[in-house]
Amino acid sequence: MAEQKHTDKRLRHKFSQFFWRAWAIQTSWNYESQMNMGFMYGMAPTIDEIYGENPDTPEKLQKKKDAYHRHMAFFNCTPQLTSFVLGLSSAMEEEYAANPDTFDPESINSVKTSLMGPLSGIGDSFFQGTIKIIAFGLGINMAQQGNLFGPILAMIISIIPSAIVTYWGGKWGYLQGKKNIQKLISNGTINRIMSLMNVIGLMVIGAMIATMIGITTPIKFGKSFVLQTTLDSIFPQMLPLAFTFGMFYLIKKKVNTAWIMVICIVGGILLSVLGIFN
Amino acid sequence: MFWKALIVGLIGVFAMFDSRLLGRENFEQPLIVSTLVGLALGDPAKGLMVGATLQLVSMGIVAVGAATPPDMVLGSVVASAFAILSNTSAQAALTVALPVAVLGQMIGIVVRMLFSSFNQLANKAIDAGKFKKARSYHIVYGPIIYALLYFVPIFLAIFLGTNAVSSFVKLIPAWLTNGLTLASKILPAYGFALLMSTMIDKKNAVYLFLGFFIAAYGKMSVISVAIFAVILVVILNKFMSGNDNNNTQPSSSDSLDDLEEL
Repeated sequence: MAEQKHTDKRLRHKFSQFFWRAWAIQTSWNYESQMNMGFMYGMAPTIDEIYGENPDTPEKLQKKKDAYHRHMAFFNCTPQLTSFVLGLSSAMEEEYAANPDTFDPESINSVKTSLMGPLSGIGDSFFQGTIKIIAFGLGINMAQQGNLFGPILAMIISIIPSAIVTYWGGKWGYLQGKKNIQKLISNGTINRIMSLMNVIGLMVIGAMIATMIGITTPIKFGKSFVLQTTLDSIFPQMLPLAFTFGMFYLIKKKVNTAWIMVICIVGGILLSVLGIFN
Repeated sequence: MFWKALIVGLIGVFAMFDSRLLGRENFEQPLIVSTLVGLALGDPAKGLMVGATLQLVSMGIVAVGAATPPDMVLGSVVASAFAILSNTSAQAALTVALPVAVLGQMIGIVVRMLFSSFNQLANKAIDAGKFKKARSYHIVYGPIIYALLYFVPIFLAIFLGTNAVSSFVKLIPAWLTNGLTLASKILPAYGFALLMSTMIDKKNAVYLFLGFFIAAYGKMSVISVAIFAVILVVILNKFMSGNDNNNTQPSSSDSLDDLEEL
C-alpha cells in the first residue's frame, strides 16, 4: 500500500514535469534545430532518474551522455502536444535502459520525428487557429463594447483546452508507451503507424505551404500581362511551393543553416527591392 | 514616469514569456497585453479599445514552423502605452504598433540566430559531463536574454517618451520593412522544408502534393485538410489490414510488405 502510494506520487510528479517542461520548450528556440534544447530539458529528469544524477560507472556516464545527445536532435512541435511526445519518449528511454540488448535507441528519435509533423500540423491549427479565433472573436466583440470581461473570457477559452491537452497528453503518452511500446515494436505495428502518420504529416505540410506562406510577384508588362494571374491560371500558390522546394534542395545539399538564414534574409530584401516578389 | 516605464516593461516581459515558458496560452495577444497596460496605467477602457483594434489586425498572424511573425507583443505594449500616455486614438496607436512590431521581429530573428550557437555549447557541456550546464542554456540563459531584450527597449521607449520611439521608427526605410516582410515569408518555407525533409521519400511524396493541391485549389484550411488526411489514413489502414486477412501468410510480415508499397 505504501509502495503504491509512493509510485502514484512519483508518477504525478513525472506528469507535472512533462506538463511544465512542454510549456517551457520554446525558451531557446533557434533556427538550427528549433526546439531541440527544450526537448532535451524535458527529457532530463527521466534520463537523470535512469542513470543517476552522478553516474557511478563510466558505462553509465557514457549512456547518459548518449541519451542527452539523442534528445538534442532537431525537434519542433506544438508545445501542448509535445508533452505527449515527452511522455512516450520517456517510456521508451526507460524501456531501453531495461532492455539495452533488444531495444534499438534509434527508434526513439524516429518515433519523435514521425510524430512531430502531424502533431504540429494539427496542434498549431487547433490552438493558434481554431481556439484563438473563437476565444478572441468573442473577446474582441465584448471589448469593443467596453466590457472588461472580454479579455478574461478570451483567456479562459484559451487556457482550459491547452492545460487539459498538455496534462493528459503527457500522462497518456507515458502510460501507453509503458504498456504498448514493446508490443508495437516487436510486431511491426509501429512501422505501420509511422508511415500512416507520415501520410497525415505530409498532407498537412502541403496544406500549410498552400495557405501560410503567401509569396506573390508584382511583375507586370503593360496593362494586360500580370505575371501573378498567369501563374495562378497554371495552378494557385505556385511560388510558395517553388520556394519550399528551393529550400528543400538547399537542405538536401547540406547547406549550413546559418547560410540558409543569410540567403533568406538578404535574398528577401534584395528580391523585394528589385520588385520581383512580395 | 520611471515607475510606469518599469511596470509596462515587466508586462512586456510577462507577455513575451507566454510563448516561451507557458506554451503560448495567448497572454501575448494584443487584447490581453493592451488591457494589462491599460490597467497598469489607470485607463483600462482605453486599453481595451486599443487592444481590440490591434487584435483584429493580428488575428491573421499564426506562428508556425520557422516563422518569426511581426512581434505584436512589443508592438501592442508600446502602442497601447503610447495611446494612453499621449491621449491619442486607437487608430493612431496602430500606426505605432506595426513598425514597432517589425522592430521586434528583427530582435526575434537575431535572438533565434544567437541561440543556434548555443547548440554547440550545450553539446560540449554534455561531452564534458556537465549536464546541469547543458540544461542551463535552455532554462536559464534563454529566458534571461529574452527578458532583457524586451524589457530594455520597452522601458526606454516609455521613459524617453513615445516621440523618440516614433521618430526612431520613422527612420526605418520602407524598403527594409518590405524586404523583411518578404524574408519573413521565405523563412516559413524553410521551416516547412525542414519538417518535410524528416519524413518525405519517393514513395510518399505524392501525399504532400495531395495536401497542397486540396488546399490550393479548394481554398481549404489546414485543419480541414488534416481531417481529410485522417480519413484517408483510416481508409489506407483498412485496405492494408484487408490484404492481411485475404492472405494465408503470417500477417505481421505482410503488413510490413504493404507498408513498403506506401
